[in-house]
Amino acid sequence: MEVNFIYEGFKIMLLGMGTVFSFLVVMIIMMNIMSKVVHRFFPEPNDVANTTSPAMDNNAKKVAAITAAIIHHRSSK
Amino acid sequence: MKSFVLKLFAVMLFSLSLHASDAHTTGAHADATTTSSTHKEETYQAQSLGEMTVSFLKSTGVYAIMSPDPDEMNAHGEPMSDFHKSWGRVLMIFITFFLFYLAIAKGYEPLLLLPIAFGGLLANIPVANIAGAHGFLGVIYNMGLSNEMFPIIIFMGVGAMTDFGPLLSNPKTALLGGAAQFGIFGTLVGAVALSQYTDMFDFTLQQAAAISIIGGADGPTSIFIATKLAPELLGAIAVASYSYMALVPIIQPPIMRALTTDDERKIKMTTLRHVSRLEKLVFPVMVLTLAIMVLPDSTPLIGAFMFGNFLKESGVVERLSDTLQNALINIVTIFLGLGVGSKLAADQFLVIDTLAILVLGLTAFSVGTAAGVIMAKIMNMFPGTKVNPLIGSAGVSAVPMAARVSNKVGMEYDRSNMLLMHAMGPNVAGVIGSAVAAGVMISIFG
Repeated sequence: MEVNFIYEGFKIMLLGMGTVFSFLVVMIIMMNIMSKVVHRFFPEPNDVANTTSPAMDNNAKKVAAITAAIIHHRSSK
Repeated sequence: MKSFVLKLFAVMLFSLSLHASDAHTTGAHADATTTSSTHKEETYQAQSLGEMTVSFLKSTGVYAIMSPDPDEMNAHGEPMSDFHKSWGRVLMIFITFFLFYLAIAKGYEPLLLLPIAFGGLLANIPVANIAGAHGFLGVIYNMGLSNEMFPIIIFMGVGAMTDFGPLLSNPKTALLGGAAQFGIFGTLVGAVALSQYTDMFDFTLQQAAAISIIGGADGPTSIFIATKLAPELLGAIAVASYSYMALVPIIQPPIMRALTTDDERKIKMTTLRHVSRLEKLVFPVMVLTLAIMVLPDSTPLIGAFMFGNFLKESGVVERLSDTLQNALINIVTIFLGLGVGSKLAADQFLVIDTLAILVLGLTAFSVGTAAGVIMAKIMNMFPGTKVNPLIGSAGVSAVPMAARVSNKVGMEYDRSNMLLMHAMGPNVAGVIGSAVAAGVMISIFG
């Protein structure tokens, strides 16, 4: 009995492309769900960080000023 | 105190005498070896200077090429034709010189092409048998290629270099990476048809599968599958795969232009949203979980890939991720190249099959590119944000070259249209897609 290899090839093509596409489609769905979950429950403190950074700068400046004052005070003793 | 010193002396003396007896036994061994070597000397017969010169001249490369040794076997211990022993080797050495030229002067994937070509040069040296089981190329091949370890390590490094951000911010572009895998399966049918209808080629289904994986445009995957399904074709498949990856900027643009209209090429894509660190961290584990559930045969490739990516995105093992991306991948690339080069021996490369592999590989590549572009056009028929079809071609892996080509072609039609990051999405999805396709091949033939 002769096997028709071209027919076999087409079967592998159908199975392969089907697997690749279903894998990627499920992956896309999972990616969408995952990003929704992450954004809902674990939002990145990005915007918060942006607003606080000037404040941090301010703090750092204050710390620097205080340190300088202390050093000056100690050295002038 | 005194008695203690005495005891110490006694112990030292005892140990010394032990050493002495040790030395004596080894001396006896040495005697035995010298006697055996004198036995050998008896078989060595005195030769006149003339005889010596003649036997030396018979061991030169020129003599070996001029009059091939009828008893010489190839790397697998099989007999080979006189052509493959003599002028075939010379021809192959010139082919490796040509590969040097392509790598150095033309800059075609020099990182891999140079080690491969030099390995090919070494493998074609007569007499020395470097690619044989005990030559160093043969040792390298058995160390990490015949057991598929080197491509896996390369995959870890590639994973550590990959950024899934663009894909995560526009998930549907992953479909383009899937469509491009049509090149693989379409070529599989082509290769089978070729061996069915012509008498010249006779590929088994396994060999056809190994050849068609070239269409995935992913070097390590091609090598992985070739060593698994058709190790006898490894040299030609690897050379074809890496040459075409280097030729992406020449092969792809005409196909992309032919399949798109002017308006489509000018489609602007919306800017990508920001992707949080947690998403990038969850993604590799998520894809691996999916692979475990659907296609465990693909997990060697996907697992290694995601391992590298996970180390990078975790952000706490900077040293390991740095080693994967640089030192380790460089070391393994050297070994991988030399090992693949050992398969460029004349008796394995100078066969008619190589020609078919080069042609089929090119077909696979072109079909994959076309399928990606067409898929993007199909996606545009559905409502929703439009996709520029030029990024479809990036669905063949070839990271990041294919994405750069999409960007370049897009810029030719609209200077302000930056497609690079958009094209990276299908590009990395293509890597996953070809790993899945490889898994399908393994599950069918493995």
